[in-house]
Amino acid sequence: MDWRLTSRPLSIAAAARALEGPGLGGVVVFAGRVRPDREAGGIVVALDYESDRATAERRLAEIAATARRRFGAERVVLWHRVGTVASGDVSVIAGAACGHRDRAFAAARYLIEELKRSVAIWKRAQVRPGRRPRRPPARRAGRSAG
Amino acid sequence: MDSASIRVRLYATAREAVGRAVVELPVPSTGVTAREVVRRLADAWPALAPVLRASRFVRNDRYLTALSVRVRPGDEFAVHPPYGGG
Repeated sequence: MDWRLTSRPLSIAAAARALEGPGLGGVVVFAGRVRPDREAGGIVVALDYESDRATAERRLAEIAATARRRFGAERVVLWHRVGTVASGDVSVIAGAACGHRDRAFAAARYLIEELKRSVAIWKRAQVRPGRRPRRPPARRAGRSAG
Repeated sequence: MDSASIRVRLYATAREAVGRAVVELPVPSTGVTAREVVRRLADAWPALAPVLRASRFVRNDRYLTALSVRVRPGDEFAVHPPYGGG
């Protein structure tokens, strides 16, 4: 079981590698990225994450152990960033490796939902005033096309 | 009666309501209940009251399951507003 709170960037490839193992035919990796949402008249450019580290780490360990026991996950990763995470970067990874896909999906789902519900982590958005850049307008297939 | 204090750690919206991450609350040497700690915090910082109603509480890094638990001098008490990981 591999759980951590870290201020360093998270790698989806590293999570997938940590979930490799003989006989582990079902591997699911969920990664959450910071979205550039519109908020309060601006765009979210980053999220600042804080935690109560002692209680958060204990709960991460409990969640990982439960995923192993309940779903038979032989390998688990449950990683979360703390500090400032820029929009587009990965803030959380929850992954599980089991013999088959059904259990791996269930385990990964349990990991991320339980983390969000019960781990002492909070976030605050850094908002840059202004609008999100618009996409160029789509070309119309009307009069000019015929 | 001797008195001492407990340290209260405040996170996220609780910290913003108070303007500080840590406050000290004087308590008698026999301690007080967690319910009394919460009441004193709400009295001292009215803006904190609605946050407290939605929060979980931690004593010495362990979640409290009842507000009847006593908090004694030297203990650390933490206010956890609703979580927002992910």
